[in-house]
Amino acid sequence: MGENIRIQGLTKSFGAQKVLAGVDLEVPSGQITCVIGRSGTGKSVLLKILMGLLRPDGGSIVINGVDITKLGDRELLKVRNRFGMVFQNAALFDSMNVFENIAFPVREHERLKEADLKVRVDAALASVGLLEHGHKNPHELSGGMRKRAAVARALVRKPEFLLYDEPTTGLDPIMTAHVDELIRTTQDQTPGLTSLVISHDMHATMQIADKIAMLFEGRVIFEGTGEDVRTTPHPVVRQFVEGRLEGPITL
Amino acid sequence: MSAVKRWNPVEALGAWVLESVEDFGGYVRFTTAAVVGIVKPPYRLRLLFKQMEFVGNQSLSIVMITGAFTGMVFAVQSDFAFGKFGARGLIGSTVVLALCRELGPVLTSLMVNGRVGSAFAAELGTMRVTEQIDALESMAIDPIQYLAAPRIGAALLMMPILCAVFDLVGTVGVSYVATQVLGVNPGPFYNRMEWFVDPDDIWGGMLKSAFFGFVLASVGCYRGYNARGGAEGVGQATTRAVVASGVAILVVDYFITLILAPMSVNRV
Ligand SMILES: Nc1ncnc2c1ncn2[C@@H]1O[C@H](COP(=O)(O)OP(=O)(O)OP(=O)(O)O)[C@@H](O)[C@H]1O
Ligand SMILES: [Mg+2]
Repeated sequence: MGENIRIQGLTKSFGAQKVLAGVDLEVPSGQITCVIGRSGTGKSVLLKILMGLLRPDGGSIVINGVDITKLGDRELLKVRNRFGMVFQNAALFDSMNVFENIAFPVREHERLKEADLKVRVDAALASVGLLEHGHKNPHELSGGMRKRAAVARALVRKPEFLLYDEPTTGLDPIMTAHVDELIRTTQDQTPGLTSLVISHDMHATMQIADKIAMLFEGRVIFEGTGEDVRTTPHPVVRQFVEGRLEGPITL
Repeated sequence: MSAVKRWNPVEALGAWVLESVEDFGGYVRFTTAAVVGIVKPPYRLRLLFKQMEFVGNQSLSIVMITGAFTGMVFAVQSDFAFGKFGARGLIGSTVVLALCRELGPVLTSLMVNGRVGSAFAAELGTMRVTEQIDALESMAIDPIQYLAAPRIGAALLMMPILCAVFDLVGTVGVSYVATQVLGVNPGPFYNRMEWFVDPDDIWGGMLKSAFFGFVLASVGCYRGYNARGGAEGVGQATTRAVVASGVAILVVDYFITLILAPMSVNRV
């Protein structure tokens, strides 16, 4: 089975701006963990630190007893091979069509016959409902289709950890439900997969999350199940969940 | 930040120098990583060929037009100069020497810089601000090797060829204008040209153009790779790349020429 990710005391500043002020979070294996929080609280920064795209100022991220923030570049590459990431704006390569985008990580890391590769990529495309659209260029897709293609690209190498950065922001309600379901079924059909979803969509989070954590002012101020979120008296969580203007969260 | 402070020229100069030194350090580190990326596997030949097509093939027409008209205008200008002391027979040899040694490499590079250096900066800059470079990295792919190595390699290989094309077309241009338009006697014209122009002049120019290709490609990639902040940032990166490369080409030219010059003095 997969392994937990244990984040402790993670800090990150950009110049004078302190974005993460000591994040503690346990991401249990084989589950979907959602991190919620307002726009600009450092959710994307947290994901980029997890992937090793940014170096934290302090703290640790331990997977299977190894602190990945202390690894050299070479070991970090090995760790990255176990992760897949769906970027906030899909980040598809616009020099390639959709099929090639999804084939790309496989081509780079595995020696496969062209026929086997096609089977693999078509399966990934089919799982996100894009089988008919492989020949299109990214700019010919709608926002929702781009997100789905990005999910297929992140999944195609069968990672142990799948990170989603706001997978449903900017999608219509039906497409949102579809992507949420995609995250859930991907999780349920992939043994040992650990998913971490960043979101500020409370409704979706309640639907799919096994565990919910809230990031506020650079720290995790709440952790629990969907039920815990519904019933907690925590004023910050209440305000966020109910979307009220009055409360501890101010502009 | 908010306190009103008088502008201090010494401080400003200091800040500028620090920033430039830091920037240059970043450039050196980036370029080293790219060169290592050229040498070290995996070799992505398909990307290299694609960039060679872009740098070479697609620059061919502008290089030929520039070469032809440079040769032609220099025929007219040197006819004016040499006509003053009745040495018009020297037009061919002088202009062709200048073409091969100086005008070919420098003008080719400046033209290609406008096309290729700017394209590299814009492409990589767009990939940076749309997180495509992060995506590469998240797939455990070294983005400097993947993006910069084939581009720099292609410029290194194609610039000397473009420079040779420029030399050739320029020579045809000057010959045509001198002998057909200005009525210079073809006999001494070609004779002197053969006598004065040495293969080393051509090789030296092509070697210089390889350096310039390296400069314009690496600066373009570096600026794009470090672009920040949306479309505006990409635009800024592109402008800075083209201007910096253009200046760098002329500066580097002087020093390479100084180094190459003694090598050609010994012959005769
Ligand atoms: N590379 C960077 N350089 C400087 N500041 C940055 C950088 N990346 C992020 N920041 C800053 O860190 C803060 C958090 O950014 P982040 O993108 O993580 O927010 P977010 O929680 O993902 O927001 P959203 O929900 O809108 O995506 C922002 O104030 C941002 O300006
Ligand atoms: Mg974000």
